[in-house]
Amino acid sequence: MSEKKTILIVEDEELMLTPLAEKLKNQGFEVVKAHDGAEGLEKALKLHPDIVILDIVMPKMDGMTVMKKIREDQKWGKDAPIVMLTNLNDPDKVSEAANYNVFDFLVKTDWKLDEVVDFIKQKLEMGFINFSA
Amino acid sequence: MKKKRFKISHKEVAMSLSDKILIIISSSLTLVVVGVVLLAGFEVEQILLVGGSIYTLGFFLTFGVSRSFSRRMLDLTRQIEEMAAGNLSTRLQVNSRDEIGQLARAVNDLTKKLETGVAVDVSRHKEISQAKTDFVNIASHQLRTPLSIIKWYLDYLISGDAGEINDEQKKYLTEAYRGNERLIELVNGLLDVSRIDLGTFSIEPEPVDITEIVDRACDKFSNLIIKNRLTIKKEIEKMPKINLDPRLTEISFEHIISNSIKYTPVGGTIKIKMKRDKENALFKITDTGCGIPEEQQPKIFTKLFRAENARKMESVGTGLGLYIVKAVMEKAGGKIWFKSPSPELLLEENEDQNIDNKDKLRGTSFYLSIPLKGMKGKSGTKKLTSFK
Repeated sequence: MSEKKTILIVEDEELMLTPLAEKLKNQGFEVVKAHDGAEGLEKALKLHPDIVILDIVMPKMDGMTVMKKIREDQKWGKDAPIVMLTNLNDPDKVSEAANYNVFDFLVKTDWKLDEVVDFIKQKLEMGFINFSA
Repeated sequence: MKKKRFKISHKEVAMSLSDKILIIISSSLTLVVVGVVLLAGFEVEQILLVGGSIYTLGFFLTFGVSRSFSRRMLDLTRQIEEMAAGNLSTRLQVNSRDEIGQLARAVNDLTKKLETGVAVDVSRHKEISQAKTDFVNIASHQLRTPLSIIKWYLDYLISGDAGEINDEQKKYLTEAYRGNERLIELVNGLLDVSRIDLGTFSIEPEPVDITEIVDRACDKFSNLIIKNRLTIKKEIEKMPKINLDPRLTEISFEHIISNSIKYTPVGGTIKIKMKRDKENALFKITDTGCGIPEEQQPKIFTKLFRAENARKMESVGTGLGLYIVKAVMEKAGGKIWFKSPSPELLLEENEDQNIDNKDKLRGTSFYLSIPLKGMKGKSGTKKLTSFK
């Protein structure tokens, strides 16, 4: 069997983090948690996970800044798979994220837990299309 | 009879005033001098010569005075007109201490006070508007977070990930999940209403195939259509692409079509008719539903209102949909209206055109009119988000 894929979840709300992390672990993924933007950025740049799931409204550093800083990393970060998972249903933020080659913007209240897990699995299996190439 | 109104310019007013002053001063001065000369016993020729000279001198003197007077009056009039037009930045030049000078000073003071007041009002209005927008954004995010926590944990429990549950437990948890979904829908709807009321939502038109939007809106409710064995009839005239905001158009059609579907009983029919006239694309969505009670019809487009029979028939619903559609249509240059009862589909289905009196009170037709030239664009900071 191939090596376990690593998923980094950056989410300040522990109550949201736990069920999502548990579900993903049950699916056989290696899950790393970060509880604020700064911790998320540090872990992302150090671990180079297979996918980063990013909340937006977080202490220390917001998710949009984390996403932009990850993209500044020319080796891994510029093409790193990122999924925004937030309750900030703001189409302006969706457009802003698209400018950084982030096209997956999920609003938590619109998605069931199982649907989020299936979406992440699909993304990891199918791979990400790199529009910036 | 219509009264005629003559418009007299400020220039005419000022000039006629100065002319009158000129004549009055010259004539009075001449009369006084002629009277004095007559009393002193001068000859008529001498009197005419002296009187004529004095009249001429008086005329030129008073002409100069009145010209200056009329110019200053004109300046004052102009300044007041500028104020009325909302231009509060100009000031009068004040070089004298006479009555007109005092009047000019008073007008300048008034302009300054108005300017300061308006500036304070505008900045206060901006502050309040910004505070409201911030509140709505923060509140919507803060409300959604606990709602999504509840959603995910219920989902976690229902799927059996936290341990096996029996059928009864699953039923109760599913009910709790549905209740939470209604709350989510309400929060999304309220957020849209706030954006409408604050005027912060944008309209971004682009060429749109409206037939596709109507088809998509119907597809979204295909489960309910199948479950309730509803017949959807379409009578669609070919339409050119229209410049519409796709999101707003979709929201509008979804709300109207979902209402027809929700309030039409099992086995009923919904007909969507699209045609065009010279200037507008016209839509008519008719159902065989419960209709809207006459006494409640005036309230149908108000916020959070749900007709009594609709509430009895379908407990789920926020009462925000039609308010949102009406606001969107009006701000985009379109129109929405309805007719109820509208039993035409029931009559169509009944070959001998004979339906009982109760059925004659059923059915509703909603009409939408969208200008073919498209929606008027409107810049804004937010987009509407609610989808049923």
